[in-house]
Amino acid sequence: MRMTLAVAVLLALLPLGLPPYAMTLLTEALIMGLFAMSLDLMVGYARLISFGHAAAYGLGAYTCGNILLHTDIPLPLAVPMAGVFSGFIGIGIAWVCTQATGVSFSMLTLALAQLLYAVAFKWTSVTGASDGLAGIPRRPGPFGTTYFSTKIGFYYLTMACLFGSFLFARALVRSPFGAVLRGIRENEAKTLSLGYNTRLYKIAVVAASYILGGLAGALYAPFAGFANTELLFWLLSGQVLIMVIVGGTGTLVGPILGAAFFLLVQQQLSTYTDSWALFFGVIFIAFVLFAPEGILGLARRRRSVRSH
Amino acid sequence: MALLELQGLTKRYGGIVAVDNVTMSVEPGEVRAVIGPNGAGKTSLFHLITGVVKPTMGEIVFDGQRVTAMPAFSRCQLGMSRTFQITALFPEMSARENTRLAAQARDKQRWRPLGGGAVFAEASRRGDAALERLGLSHVAERQAGLLSHGDQRLLEVAMALAQQPRLLLMDEPTQGLSVEETAQAVEVLGGLFAGGGLTVLLVEHDMEVVFRLASKMTVLHRGSVIADGDPATVKADPVVQDAYLGGYT
Repeated sequence: MRMTLAVAVLLALLPLGLPPYAMTLLTEALIMGLFAMSLDLMVGYARLISFGHAAAYGLGAYTCGNILLHTDIPLPLAVPMAGVFSGFIGIGIAWVCTQATGVSFSMLTLALAQLLYAVAFKWTSVTGASDGLAGIPRRPGPFGTTYFSTKIGFYYLTMACLFGSFLFARALVRSPFGAVLRGIRENEAKTLSLGYNTRLYKIAVVAASYILGGLAGALYAPFAGFANTELLFWLLSGQVLIMVIVGGTGTLVGPILGAAFFLLVQQQLSTYTDSWALFFGVIFIAFVLFAPEGILGLARRRRSVRSH
Repeated sequence: MALLELQGLTKRYGGIVAVDNVTMSVEPGEVRAVIGPNGAGKTSLFHLITGVVKPTMGEIVFDGQRVTAMPAFSRCQLGMSRTFQITALFPEMSARENTRLAAQARDKQRWRPLGGGAVFAEASRRGDAALERLGLSHVAERQAGLLSHGDQRLLEVAMALAQQPRLLLMDEPTQGLSVEETAQAVEVLGGLFAGGGLTVLLVEHDMEVVFRLASKMTVLHRGSVIADGDPATVKADPVVQDAYLGGYT
């Protein structure tokens, strides 16, 4: 708890000393961190490996984009609305995908996300097809305030979403519900035989994951000012899974660090070479081979070595 | 009234009849063993009772309620707890967390997504009591996957007991144990059953174990019941000796 508070204070003070371009990068890192953390709920706590988590992000982004473009609903309200909508769709997606387990589950998540991608390409009136939605505004309000439309105000909104989501997710995994999820992760057949309707628990955690992932996408649309089909593409699903694994699964905090690390490496390497993804691939392989517990696990290991 | 009743239960796989018109019952307070040679249909019968597979014909009645079409997890909610032939645990959790999660399944608020301190406290209390009954308190904080094979088997029984079951179903409780471990397990289980209050249906092929633990026996042969009664009667039955015991006396 003290650690959480210290990080919150640090992040809250950062805008005072950072140049604008760094603020942009930091805001994006927080959005991506929220997205990766949402996937960790599924991957790290229930061993539900999704290859289609971009669906949550894209749903959030398109929903928020449409709300902001076509209504007067203020930005701080549009974002959670889009998250909740994404969660609703997540229930349907989970209902289909949990018909299967293991690799088949993963393939179904990929298939449904690609289905949404294809729909986004054709449904011009809602998604703008290949042009996407452009000029998404940051509507002022509530009560007429324009604070959240500013760079710093938007940063604080993002930070609030990330911390709120983190506290929610942490309470979730520590609750009786979370204990059942860990049971499913370690031995689903046993959990079922103890009298838990494991499929309902899985659908519930996917819905929670989609709400938070949708929240991240909903922040991205007004952050970038646009939403396009790339936000639903499998490439993003793969990237966020890599962020979770590199950061450390089943830790919530790890994936946030993983997302920041991914963006930093991408930003640094892409100034030198277009093939930055190739180098990140090597980093990813190194993590899987030598530090499967991720960045957070590495940090904890070092700390425990030093204290001995 | 019987706690569990099987009425004309039949399971066919294609042309093979695994369970053939089995009618039997388990009375409250008895420890009943289902025995039979390999391929007699013991495991198939167990799967039908626990709800892993659905019967081709016949009915399963638990405490006066028809449960034939009920999914496995709902039968468990009615008070049927089971152990597996191949030990099934949560290997990365401690022994305490294993029994706690088992006990939590009996709580109305088992799904609570936030808070839940009271749920955990009550489940821990029941779980710890079950560990103590099986003499596992000294390994409570150890990771379940690192316990000895014998202790793992007992931990699984503790998980079932933590659910305060009305009917305890055990699939070959000494399967895969060494001679010494089997003797120990029979010792502990015998003490547990002697304490009374439990209704048990166990499937087992080890005769020593069955005669030490069971108060009633049902003998299966090629999917059908060929004998039913107390151990001494069953042992003396010429049909049983011919079909199965093969001179074992």
